[in-house]
Amino acid sequence: MDYFRQHILTIVAFWPLAGMIVLLLFNKENKNLIRWWSNFVMIAGFVISLPLWFWFDRDSSDQMQFVQNIQWIQTIGANYHVGIDGISLLLVLLTTLLGPLAVLSSWDAIQDRLKEYYVFMLMLQAGMLGVFISLDFFLFYVFWEVMLVPMYFLIGVWGGPRKLYAAIKFFLYTLFGSVLLLLGILALYFTYPGIAAQHPEIASQFGTGATFDILAFHAMAPFLPFNLQYWIFLAFFIGFAIKVPMFPFHTWLPDAHVEAPTAGSVILAAVLLKMGTYGFLRFSLPILPNGTKYFVPLMITLSIIAIVYGALVAMMQPDMKKLVAYSSVSHMGFVTLGMFALNPNGVNGSIIQQINHGISTGALFLIVGIIYERRHTREIAQLGGISNVMPMYAIVFLIMTMSSIGLPLLNGFIGEFTIVMGALQENLWWAVAAGAGIVLGAAYMLWLYQRTMLGRIENPANEKLLDMNMRELATLVPLIIVAFWIGLYPAPFFHVLDKPVNKIVAKVRPDYFQGAPRLNAEVISARERR
Amino acid sequence: MNFLDLIWLIPLFPAAGFVINGLFGKKMSKTAVGVIACGMVLVSFIFSAGAVWQLLQLDGAHRSHTVTLYEWINAGPAHTSEGPLARFQVDWGFLLDPLSSIMILVVTGIGFLIHIYSTGYMHDEDGFYRFFAYLNLFMFSMLTLVLGNNYLMMFVGWEGVGLCSYLLIGYYFHKRSAGDAAKKAFIVNRVGDWGFSIGIMMIFATFGTLRFTEVGEKVREGVMSGAFHAGDTLFVAIALALFVGAAGKSAQIPLYVWLPDAMEGPTPVSALIHAATMVTAGVYMVARSNFIYQMAPQAMTVVAVIGAVTAFFAASIGLVQNDIKRVLAYSTVSQLGYMFLALGVGAFAAGIFHLMTHAFFKALLFLGSGSVIHAMHHEQDMRKMGALKDKIPWTFRTMFVGTLAIAGTPGLAGFFSKDEILWKAFSSKQGHVLLWLIGAAVAGMTAFYMFRLLFMTFYGESRVDHHTEHHIHESPNSMVVPLIILAIGAIVSGYVGFPTWLGGTNAFEKFLDPVFEPLPIPRGPEAEYSNLVEAGMAAVSVAVALIGFGLAYSKYCKRSWEEQREVRQYGPLYRLFLNKYYIDELYDALFVNRAKGGGVALWKFDGKVVDGAVNGSAWTTVESALGSGWWDRWIVDGIVKFIGGFIKTMSWPLRLIQTGYVQNYALVMILGLLVFIGYVLWGTP
Amino acid sequence: MPPFLQMQDIGAIVPELELVVFGMFLLIFDLLIPNKRTLGLIALVGIGASGAFLFRVRGLDVSAYGGTLALDPFAIFFKLIFLVAAALSIAISLKYLDIERENHGEYYALILFATMGMMFMAGAVDLVTLYIGLETMAISTYILVGFLRSNQRSNEASMKYFLLGAFSSGILLYGMSLLYGLSGSTRFVDIAEALSRRPITDPISLMAMITLAAGMFFKIAAVPFHQWTPDAYEGAPTSITAFMSVAVKAASFAMMVRIFMVAIYPLRPQWVPIMAAVSVMTMTVGNIAAITQSNVKRLLAYSSISHAGYVLIGLIAGNETGLTAIPLYLFIYTFTNLGVWAVIVALRRKDVIGEHIDDMAGLFFRHPAGAVLMLIFLLSLAGIPPTAGFIGKYYLFAAAIETGHNVLAVIAVLNAAISIYFYFRIVVSMFMREATEKTGLTYAPGLTMTLAIATVFTLLIGIYPDPFIAMARHAVVLGF
Repeated sequence: MDYFRQHILTIVAFWPLAGMIVLLLFNKENKNLIRWWSNFVMIAGFVISLPLWFWFDRDSSDQMQFVQNIQWIQTIGANYHVGIDGISLLLVLLTTLLGPLAVLSSWDAIQDRLKEYYVFMLMLQAGMLGVFISLDFFLFYVFWEVMLVPMYFLIGVWGGPRKLYAAIKFFLYTLFGSVLLLLGILALYFTYPGIAAQHPEIASQFGTGATFDILAFHAMAPFLPFNLQYWIFLAFFIGFAIKVPMFPFHTWLPDAHVEAPTAGSVILAAVLLKMGTYGFLRFSLPILPNGTKYFVPLMITLSIIAIVYGALVAMMQPDMKKLVAYSSVSHMGFVTLGMFALNPNGVNGSIIQQINHGISTGALFLIVGIIYERRHTREIAQLGGISNVMPMYAIVFLIMTMSSIGLPLLNGFIGEFTIVMGALQENLWWAVAAGAGIVLGAAYMLWLYQRTMLGRIENPANEKLLDMNMRELATLVPLIIVAFWIGLYPAPFFHVLDKPVNKIVAKVRPDYFQGAPRLNAEVISARERR
Repeated sequence: MNFLDLIWLIPLFPAAGFVINGLFGKKMSKTAVGVIACGMVLVSFIFSAGAVWQLLQLDGAHRSHTVTLYEWINAGPAHTSEGPLARFQVDWGFLLDPLSSIMILVVTGIGFLIHIYSTGYMHDEDGFYRFFAYLNLFMFSMLTLVLGNNYLMMFVGWEGVGLCSYLLIGYYFHKRSAGDAAKKAFIVNRVGDWGFSIGIMMIFATFGTLRFTEVGEKVREGVMSGAFHAGDTLFVAIALALFVGAAGKSAQIPLYVWLPDAMEGPTPVSALIHAATMVTAGVYMVARSNFIYQMAPQAMTVVAVIGAVTAFFAASIGLVQNDIKRVLAYSTVSQLGYMFLALGVGAFAAGIFHLMTHAFFKALLFLGSGSVIHAMHHEQDMRKMGALKDKIPWTFRTMFVGTLAIAGTPGLAGFFSKDEILWKAFSSKQGHVLLWLIGAAVAGMTAFYMFRLLFMTFYGESRVDHHTEHHIHESPNSMVVPLIILAIGAIVSGYVGFPTWLGGTNAFEKFLDPVFEPLPIPRGPEAEYSNLVEAGMAAVSVAVALIGFGLAYSKYCKRSWEEQREVRQYGPLYRLFLNKYYIDELYDALFVNRAKGGGVALWKFDGKVVDGAVNGSAWTTVESALGSGWWDRWIVDGIVKFIGGFIKTMSWPLRLIQTGYVQNYALVMILGLLVFIGYVLWGTP
Repeated sequence: MPPFLQMQDIGAIVPELELVVFGMFLLIFDLLIPNKRTLGLIALVGIGASGAFLFRVRGLDVSAYGGTLALDPFAIFFKLIFLVAAALSIAISLKYLDIERENHGEYYALILFATMGMMFMAGAVDLVTLYIGLETMAISTYILVGFLRSNQRSNEASMKYFLLGAFSSGILLYGMSLLYGLSGSTRFVDIAEALSRRPITDPISLMAMITLAAGMFFKIAAVPFHQWTPDAYEGAPTSITAFMSVAVKAASFAMMVRIFMVAIYPLRPQWVPIMAAVSVMTMTVGNIAAITQSNVKRLLAYSSISHAGYVLIGLIAGNETGLTAIPLYLFIYTFTNLGVWAVIVALRRKDVIGEHIDDMAGLFFRHPAGAVLMLIFLLSLAGIPPTAGFIGKYYLFAAAIETGHNVLAVIAVLNAAISIYFYFRIVVSMFMREATEKTGLTYAPGLTMTLAIATVFTLLIGIYPDPFIAMARHAVVLGF
């Protein structure tokens, strides 16, 4: 038990990989065995990740916990260094929760090349978990790139008609971002020794040699020259913004989502996108405070554009899945808006909203998948009046719609409201603009719901649809529960986030907690520092 | 049993009803569903009554009780505009004070009656359980709205009632029009909520808290210490932002458009949500924020003017509608205008007073019309009615009372509340004689369209088609009894605010005083009027109402249906009213189509430009690859062919390997070499 | 002047000698032994023996033959690479040559001789020694490229390669003579010493530098001296293509490092910009041209061009990281690339050439293992973790950043990203196209062994690169 406790992160992250290796031994004709096994592995993975929630020490939630630090590549100073604070805790749990649901949802949907499919799913899961627990930048980058390959295959093999295009677009686009990210990492890597040499307090803690230790980078943040921060921020920005995706780097998303199989879309929306925002939170903000402040106007502008733009484009989509895809552009706009408001409320909200987006959008993709399995079309025009034949489905869909448009007592509201609250504290007009997104959000989601669910059934093909079966319900119920939990009693989540977020804010705006000037002023001063 | 500490249960009973009916209602008998739904509301009515009773036992100053369940949101520290750090921390807490106690009584009381009524009205509908589940959910949200002790709780209820109105308007979801109306209601309300939420955030960003009591205190202290002054931009901004929300929820100009369409919902819904309770949430919210509005006289003026204009505007449309429910809908909008007029002139108590009385008689009227529709087999067009007063006597009698009440007949509820408002519109500091004039005119119009309704429905010759003719019957007791109770309410409920000029002690206003306690802002001396003036004013408004009645009588009652035709082709003004000033068309043109168009445009933009850039770069890469191939094939080979041919003739040994490439590769190498040499020898400084 | 010949001088070249001896024996045995595979095995034994001795002298740092030949960690590391490359190439040849019906003893002998030449190149610290080594290698490879005598393409390729090779050697020789003229010595140290005494803009020395550079750019197939590569690679027997793409390249780089980092180091400020330009052109042209290739051999030829471009970054950086990167990258590249070629050889069957990208269609269904291994190798070529290729690329980019060549670094990483596109064209056809024909792959023990070794190292270096990095670093820190 004690051993388990000390190595829990490693176990959680590599458990799916172990499951995958076992899976390789199975005969690929034995489909049910493969299905049962993969589902077992995923669910077990969730179960073994649960202790994190209970063992996590709330009082020091800004400290890295469950840390393991093993020398890996001595010659370049890269270590196997893992650990989580409040922020990564939530994202890890989100991943372990969504993984099983995605796998469960593909029980019937995936019929050919079953074995490879589940192999890739498990590989992907391991990669994503690795990203969220890495405390070593080199390790982080390895995981970050590793999961590109399985995702590529998930889209490219089991995807829709234009799968090859979508798959390679996803791969290339993301890769372009990440290679620039790598250069940024290297720049930090080579800057560290010099700074450590001048600042014994850092050297004493992290040594003088070149290192990839993220905590070391956090420590040296205050001493990074602005010019360096400027360039590194740009490199990171491209890397992360493509992943989020922020406007105008978002165009791979609709393609990838529309072509990907349901489970792929779920994972993509629920977890993969979060890696971008997580990157901003973990690296850009705390390591490059002045660079961040300098680019705040740009970031906010892009976020607000994304919010409104995504919503407007979503409104007119004829394809359900594409509509949801664009809606996530809009929602991620909220996330980045809150993050770059750079105050506790905004950042807290943006993290909660990341979770919410994972829950709601993930669920919406599952919902679209369910109707797609029955009708083999996602054309909104083809549907209509579905609630007459699928009442339970209609209710679930309604709940998730409400959660996605931010109705109180559901998760979406908590995130959006806190974010906009944070934005308003810096600038009233950011909040007003974001509010427009909320209105439009209601518009396109309700319109979608009305066109697909309400009214009479015109299309005879829809008359004989079966309502959700138990398995499909099982994929959605957990999400509904979490949605209500966050909506009714989000305090536990905020409690976990409070300290780490304050820590980040204190890094970016050191004087915030001593009656700071407004952010705009600081942006100006950052400009002057240029 | 201490009801005061159990107020948090009041919303929870209907919530429980919602859960039970929602989950198991499908399998339960209609009776069971009805019993649970009504029972739950009854229980919370009893708890409300008990709580209010115990509140009344406390002495005036301390009539306020807060119950906090748990910490809901705690999203870290934040800077208030004043500088000091506050936590964005919100509790799941409830507040019972005079204002909220009136609201919960109205909501649970009238709500209960309407639940009873619905068991009869909806009896033959399928999805019976669904209807009552939604209705209970609505009760939960509405009670949360009025009982919450902070703005965010209020917002929760606010959105919740919005959702329920969406669900209930769209109850006949297979009707396209119902779906559209529901969507419209929700989205228009969303526009309001946008403003409301911005207002809430500004409140937090200013005071660092969202609890009503604390915000009030901070404002008071600010005024004392001179930090705040009446008319500060901050307060005006907050007040206006909040009012946007109020206008959305309470269907004021320019956001009133959703309410008439909302009549697509079942009639009890119209009575409960779109007459008695939900639509008054805006009024409640403004009254609740009186400490903000008192600090923002400019905003008050806006509220008053919009209220007055809406009252007039809606009434004018109501004059000519032929759908019985739409008449009542516009009447509701107009009456809500009255309430905002009251709030705008600083007569918060009067506004709430009218809210209460209106709840009685408007609910009564709607339920009555429902009873008519029920009898007429879902016929809502008054041109197809007439002469019903003997066929459905009880419906007629009760509706008659309601009409008298709303028309402001002395002695009935409407009279007291409406006159209070008109008087304040004239006399109070923010008041103005113009406002009073509009108010009085609206009183006349109200009398006109209400009696028009009454006459067209119950008097004259019958225009009912024959096969419905036989089936017309009085509604079951489950529907009639509530009508009667409401009728009694419509008569007596006014006396709680028996005005001083008639020698009464405006108990109602006194009761509310602790909530609406004026801030110590420097004001000029109140103008003193003798009771006679007030009495005169009252007389005038009654006279105007009489004129309205007279017109209606002469035009719709005295003359036969044929003679009335010329009234119905009244020319441009008539058509303008009938088409509601073409506002819906205007909005469609201005906003809806704009948004859709913009969506399409941006979508194209996304595909062509943004994505185009991406694909374009990829394309360029591939093309350049092909290009280099092309270069190799044609240009280079061209040279090669030439050299090749040349050499072929010159040199036989190379003929063995006559592909030509070699020389050309060598050529390129030489060129490259020369370039380098040129660079190092002359290129570098 | 040290005495002409000493025992340890002989000792310094024992590995080479062993290869020569075995080569000679092979030529003789060729007449006696009918089964040519045995010859291949003998060759392998020879390489093994040479490797064994190499292992014994590891860590040595001596110079022999009056300072014309060095036996330092650098040389030893590269010799290791050559031996590995040679061994694996022979291993994949055994079956392949049977299929081509061109199994002859001299083939193996020639590989051994070529390897011997390379080893001299790696050790040479003197122009003459260097040149002898270079030509020994070159001439053997000329013949090997044209080894499929019945095959038109092969002959043609060989002829081109020979002519252009000779041409470039000429240029190279010209530069060397200039250097000799300048310094009056052929030893690198003396040359460096002489150059450092002349002004850095001295035209003669620049002339020498340029001609040397041009000659070497040809050997490593850098733009604009690259055009022979696709033809030669396409025409040559696949096994030889593999051998060239790794061993010959490695040898040329070894020579390049020695010359640029020792002999003409004083001119560094002059040659760095040129090399940067060449590097950029090389990787860009290589990648972009590869995109449209549909013949896998040509595609990989272009890809190997671009890889040469990456490796040049190491020289441009010129610091410890950069120099470490070069042997490390080449070491990794050896395994990965040989793996790829091994799969392609496995695709070669009586009927199919197995060179067209469509011959790979649905390979996954016909032979999952083969396809998966190919995927791993391709990922490594593209530099995706956790494969060895990523470590190599990482080191190069790191060197560029460390020495402030940021633009170069950006271009390099973008190229690395582009390369995914054409590598994944192969992946697509392997995994996402229907199988055109059901026949499996031809597997031979040699081939399997090669694939196994290649895979193991590609993954091992990717996941735990520490010891290999240490080796590579050890190889350069002393020398430079």
